[in-house]
Amino acid sequence: MIVRMVRVRIAGPRSLLDRTLAVLQDVGVLHVDRPRLSDASRPDSTLIRRRHHVERCLSDVEAALDRLQLSVDPAAAANPPAVPSAPAAVRRARRVRRKAEALALAMSSLEEERSLLLRYREFFQVFEALTQQELTWPDGQAFYVVLRAGSGSALTELRRRLEDAVGGEIELLHRALSSGEWAVLILASAGAASRVSALLVASRVEELPAPPGIGEKNLLRSLPAIKSRLAQILRALRALDLDRRTLAQKEGDWLFRHRAFLRDQLLQLDARARVFTAEYLFVIEGWLPAPRLADLEQRVRSAIGSQVVVSAIGTEDWTAGTTPVAFDNPPLFRPFEVLTRMLPLPKYGTMDPTPFVAIFFPAFFGLMLGDVGYGLMLAVLAALLRLKSEPGSTLRSVSTVALACSSSAIAFGVFFGECFGNFGATIGLHPIFNREEATIPFLGLSVAIGVVHILLGLVLASLTAWRRGHRREAVGRSLALSMLILTGLSLLAALEVLPRGLFTPMVVATLVAFTVLVALEGVVALVDLLSTFGHILSYARIMALGTASLMMAIVANEMIGAMGSVVIGAVFALLFHLVNFALGLFSPTIHALRLHYVEFFGQFFSPGGAEYRPLGHWHPPASSQSQLNRA
Amino acid sequence: MEMALLGLAAALAIGLTALATAWAQGRIGPAAAASLVEKPELWTTAVILIAIPETMVILGFVVAVLILLRAGAGG
Repeated sequence: MIVRMVRVRIAGPRSLLDRTLAVLQDVGVLHVDRPRLSDASRPDSTLIRRRHHVERCLSDVEAALDRLQLSVDPAAAANPPAVPSAPAAVRRARRVRRKAEALALAMSSLEEERSLLLRYREFFQVFEALTQQELTWPDGQAFYVVLRAGSGSALTELRRRLEDAVGGEIELLHRALSSGEWAVLILASAGAASRVSALLVASRVEELPAPPGIGEKNLLRSLPAIKSRLAQILRALRALDLDRRTLAQKEGDWLFRHRAFLRDQLLQLDARARVFTAEYLFVIEGWLPAPRLADLEQRVRSAIGSQVVVSAIGTEDWTAGTTPVAFDNPPLFRPFEVLTRMLPLPKYGTMDPTPFVAIFFPAFFGLMLGDVGYGLMLAVLAALLRLKSEPGSTLRSVSTVALACSSSAIAFGVFFGECFGNFGATIGLHPIFNREEATIPFLGLSVAIGVVHILLGLVLASLTAWRRGHRREAVGRSLALSMLILTGLSLLAALEVLPRGLFTPMVVATLVAFTVLVALEGVVALVDLLSTFGHILSYARIMALGTASLMMAIVANEMIGAMGSVVIGAVFALLFHLVNFALGLFSPTIHALRLHYVEFFGQFFSPGGAEYRPLGHWHPPASSQSQLNRA
Repeated sequence: MEMALLGLAAALAIGLTALATAWAQGRIGPAAAASLVEKPELWTTAVILIAIPETMVILGFVVAVLILLRAGAGG
């Protein structure tokens, strides 16, 4: 159900505004709204400056947390944030950010150098044996080239051209790399070096640049230098990581608490922008759940005193259009809010469809899947999801919905006598309603469920319209409801389920109701009525999907005898059942949702409500001490 | 002969509606996917829009079943 809201006005001396907002933030129930006063929207330059200041400081804190790799909050919300001296806190945040950034920059630069050197290492390692030999030209130059995989002919061509150009003043060595590329080392005398370089450029053979930071171009000395540099980098990285961890350990808690404080400040400033202030007074207006009004009054009085007055504004002074919407459903229904929240919130004063979804969604799902075996498989999945999810999370709600759907599928499975299709009969399940044979009654049942669901939708539409003061619409919906009932009764009379004598009066009553309906709502009523009948027929999908799922399961079971070998048949049957189970999860979910969103909600649901967002303390997305401990 | 015609009618009932659904979903699917790239919050609407044409094949299936049941009763 939608919580009944009350609009309140809180007024007091301007000097008490900050304290009042702090108290309201502690209470956490007031959805602050702009007061309906003439210059309430006047922008306040002081507030804008303060907001920029807080945002800058928050950016420093969050950047420091990011550089220190502390993205998970250690229950900062559980501890009240320390109220810091503003200039000192700003300086500290900036100092920590700079330190963290310097550490992160140094580590990233070393990591980059290390990954580059590791790329070189294999190249040089294949020539490592040469480091033990005498150099032919001690003052010569080495050229390092990597040729692509499968370029053996290019290697021969390169050797031929080099020998043509400089004769015997070069040595060309090549080795295959693990990647399939060729590592080529060209050693040239000092005199031939320039010609070799020019030839490589002319032949578009790209030379591997000398390793950066080594300062050594000679092969014989560069490999040990690379190894030593890699070791140095590792040591430096370890030292920097230790510094980072120390800084994170020292400042992490303060950063988290300060972030919570700044986030709270931003929330307060947002609320402050919607407060009316004059030279000596302030006025705050907002919404809160009606049962919390007394608590708010008491908390404000005890924290500030009688100088600040809290008063409820009469309902005649506000319209439902701007009232925020909050749900308050019993714990059994609450998880199903995850399905209703997929659509925009309903307007205040209309109906929250969650309780109806909680009853009909699992029922429709169960009617479609209707199998003990598949139901048990879904129950296992739901239980696993429940174990993996945190209380209050969306996943936990989804697991509860899945558990309800699995229970319904098992119950209807017993009713239909199905366990992995017709395997139920083998293990002694006796159908109360055999949907394999009773196709037409199952179709009738589906459409009858549609009639009940749509009638309920029309009842809710009529009630909602009446409560909102739209009397004409309420009468129109009631007439549409009556027409549906009269049409149904006429059909039953025509089929002689009811006494035949009732047929004519029912038809006459239907025609009268139709005339009044058109007079009230115009030609649109006719279109509405036809679409309502279409919506009822749409519930035939319950029978269609149920029968299709059953047929697939029967086909899977027949594979056991149809494959020649029982083992192969059983494997195929198992695979087919898995496919059917996957389809059995997806299709009934989508179609049960569609029956709710399109057919049922279409009768009464009025989207467009604003979400109830009370001024409260900021809460981190997840709480865990583990990361700080690791750091 | 009548049985064969009834079988053909059932096949047409499910086949034509399946083609119609496939054609409609083939047009709606890419449009919905493109919308979701820009506005992921529209996914409920996208799912509903994709599921709407399935009504055709579902009703086709129901009609096919009714025809086959009649054929069974006749045979």
